[in-house]
Amino acid sequence: MDTSTANAELENQADTTRRAAIDRSVKGPVLFLFLNGAFWLMASTILGVLAGIKAFAPEFLDVSFLTFGRLQPAHLTALVYGWGMQAGLGIMLWLMARRSGQELIGGKSLMIVAGVFWNIAVSLAIVGILAGKGTGFEWLEMPSYLWPVLLVCFLVYAWPMTRMFARAFRPEGFMVSTWYVLGACFWFPWIYITTNVCLHCLPGLGALGAGVNAWYVHGLILLFFTPVAVGAAYYFIPKITGQPIASQQLAQIGFWLLAILGGWTGMQRFMGGPLPAWMVAIGALTGVLLMIPVGVVGLNHHLTTLGKHHLVATSPTLRFVFFGAIFYPVSGAILALLSNFWSGLNLQFSHAWYGYQVTAVYGFFSMTAFGAIYYIVPRLAGCEWLSVRLIRNHFWFSVYGIGTIVVTSLLAGMQQNADINVPERWDQSWMSVVMNARPYLVARVIAWALITWSNVWFLIHLGLMVAGLGRRSAAPTLLPSHHDETDSALPHGANA
Amino acid sequence: MSAPSAHPDNTNIDRIHTAAHREKADLVAGSLPAPTWVIFLGFIVAIIAGGQLGVMTGGYQFETSNPFATSIAADPRPKAVGGDAGGDPFQVAMKKGAGGYAVCGGCHQGNGLGIAGQFPPLAGSDWVLGGTERLIRVVQHGLTGAITVKGQNYNTPGGMQAFGAAMSAGDLANVLTYIRNNWGNEATMITKEMVEAVRTKESARTTQWTASELAAFEKENVPGPIPAGPGADAPAAK
Repeated sequence: MDTSTANAELENQADTTRRAAIDRSVKGPVLFLFLNGAFWLMASTILGVLAGIKAFAPEFLDVSFLTFGRLQPAHLTALVYGWGMQAGLGIMLWLMARRSGQELIGGKSLMIVAGVFWNIAVSLAIVGILAGKGTGFEWLEMPSYLWPVLLVCFLVYAWPMTRMFARAFRPEGFMVSTWYVLGACFWFPWIYITTNVCLHCLPGLGALGAGVNAWYVHGLILLFFTPVAVGAAYYFIPKITGQPIASQQLAQIGFWLLAILGGWTGMQRFMGGPLPAWMVAIGALTGVLLMIPVGVVGLNHHLTTLGKHHLVATSPTLRFVFFGAIFYPVSGAILALLSNFWSGLNLQFSHAWYGYQVTAVYGFFSMTAFGAIYYIVPRLAGCEWLSVRLIRNHFWFSVYGIGTIVVTSLLAGMQQNADINVPERWDQSWMSVVMNARPYLVARVIAWALITWSNVWFLIHLGLMVAGLGRRSAAPTLLPSHHDETDSALPHGANA
Repeated sequence: MSAPSAHPDNTNIDRIHTAAHREKADLVAGSLPAPTWVIFLGFIVAIIAGGQLGVMTGGYQFETSNPFATSIAADPRPKAVGGDAGGDPFQVAMKKGAGGYAVCGGCHQGNGLGIAGQFPPLAGSDWVLGGTERLIRVVQHGLTGAITVKGQNYNTPGGMQAFGAAMSAGDLANVLTYIRNNWGNEATMITKEMVEAVRTKESARTTQWTASELAAFEKENVPGPIPAGPGADAPAAK
C-alpha cells in the first residue's frame, strides 16, 4: 500500500477529529444563542404583523400598550437585538472557532450567563417599550439603563473570538470570513458606545442627536449585520460548492472599502434638515460610494457559485445563503437610492426607510443566517434536520414575504413623497396622503404573516434539533430536485 | 453542555464525526484579478457619489445646514396684497373650513341639502345666510325643538348638538365661513373674533337653544371687521 495515501488518510482523519472537537467546544453557547434568537424572531414577526395592522386600522386592539408607536419599536428591537445580534454572535463564534482552528477553551459558562443576561435585557426592553418607557431613539428605544448590559454581554463573546483570531492556525492562508467577523467584534462596541454616550450622557445634543441616531442605525447594519452575513457567505458558498472564493483581490477590496466607508454614512437621512450640511453631504457620498464594495462582494459570490447553481436547489444552506448574497447588492442599491440628493429627497421620511431596514436585516442578514444555522446546527446537535418540507416552507414563505415588503415599502415611499413633495399642494389634507399608503400597509401585514408562519415552524424545527430529536443519519437533509438522478451517483453529497 | 452524550447513539465516534467528515475542504482563495470593467464601473459610481459633495457641503461650515435655503423656489402659499404672510383670510378660511365640514356633513350632507324631514339644508337657508349672531349660537351651543327652514318643518329628536365646545374659535369661524359661501350661498365671512365675542357673551350657557329664543337674533350680525370675501369692510391691508 502506498504510504503517502495512508498518510493523507490519517491526516484527513485527524483533521476531521479536530473539526468535530471544535464543534463540540462551542456547542453550548452557539445553540443557546440560535434557539433564543429564533424565539425572538418569531416574537418580532408577530409584533410586525400587529404593528402593520395598527398602521392602517388604529382602532384594532385599542389599548395603550399596543399602539403603533410602541409596537413598531418593539418589533424592530426584537428583530435587531433579540434575533439578529444573537444569531450573529452564534455564527461569529462558530465561524471564528472553525476558521482559526481553535477550540473554545474557557469562558463557556460565562458565555451562557452573558446569553441569559442578553435575553433578560431584550425582554426588559420589549416590556419597557410596550409600557411606554421607550426612549424614542430609533433602534435604541429600549430603556436607557439596558445598554451597558448588552455591551458587556457582547464583549464576553467578542473577547474569546479576538483571542482565537490571534492564535489562529490557518494553513489556507488569507480567509476573508474571519476578517469580517473580527471587524464586527470591534465595530459594534465602537458604534454602540459612541451612540449611547452621545444620546444618554451628553446633554442637549439637539438636532445632532437625531443625526447620531441615524448614523447608529446605518452603522449597525453596515458594520455589524453586513460583516457577519458577508463573512458567513464567504465561508459557506465555497464550502458547499467546493470551489475556492473566486478572487482574493475582490474580497480584499470589498472588505477594506466597507471598513473605511461604513462608519461615514447615516446623517444623509436628514438631508435638508438642521444638521451641518457637510455631515449630510459626506453621508450621502459614502452611501452612494458603498455600492462599490457591495457590488464587488456580490460579483465575487456570483463567480464563486458559477457552474454550481444546481446545488442551490438541493442544499438548504446554499439556497438561503445564495438568496442572502443576492440581497446584499439589493440592500446596497436601496441604500444608494435613499442616500443621494436626487432620489433620497423623494424617499425621505417614508415607508422606504422601513423597507431598507427590513431588506438589510431580514432579506440579507437573516436569510444568510438561516443558511448558516442549517449548516451549523446538525454539526453541534449530532443529528440531521427532520423535515425537507419545513425547510422548503421556511425558504419560500420568507422569500415571498420579504420580496413583498421590499417592493411595497419602496413603492409606498415613492408614492408618499410624490404626494408630499409638491409645494403647490401645500394645503392638501395630510389624511389623504396617509390613506394613499393604505394598500401597501395591508400588503406588508400579509407579508409579515407569511414570514411569521415560516418562522414558527423554524423555531419548532430548531427546538427539536437542539433537543437532540433530529434525524439519526449519516446523510444530510437535502432538498429534492430534478437533479437527483445525476447526483445520486455520488455518495450522499457533501452539500450540507 | 460540552459533549453531545444524551443519546447512546452519539457515543459512536463515526456518527459524531459524520457531518464534519463529509465537509469539503477549506480552500485557498482564487487569484482572479479584479476585472477591468469592475474598475470602470467603480469610477462611475465614484463620480456619481462625488456629485453629492461640492456645493452640497456648504463650504464645510458648521453654521450652514442647507446650502440651497436661500435659492429655494418662492413660497407658493397665496399672499395678501402687500406681502402679508397670512394670505387672503377668506380663501384660507374656505379651505380650512372645507376640512372641518366633514363633521357637519354627517347630517347636513356633502351637498349641504340635508335630509328631508330629518336634517335641514344649509344651502340657501336663512339660518345660515341670516344674522351671524344666530348662526354662531346654533353651532356653539346646539339647537333643539321645532324649526322651519325654507318652508319645511323639522323637529328632529335631540336636535343639533353643541359643537362649539370641542372646537377652537378659529376652526368654528372657518367652518361657518365655508357654509356661508358654498353651494351657491354668499354671505360675509365670520371671523375668529366674532366667535369669541359670542362665546364671551354666552359663556354661562350650557343648554341648547330653541327657535323662539333665537328669534331675537334673526337679523343681527356680530359687530367686527370683515377682512375679506363678500361684504368686506376693510379691504386687505395695503
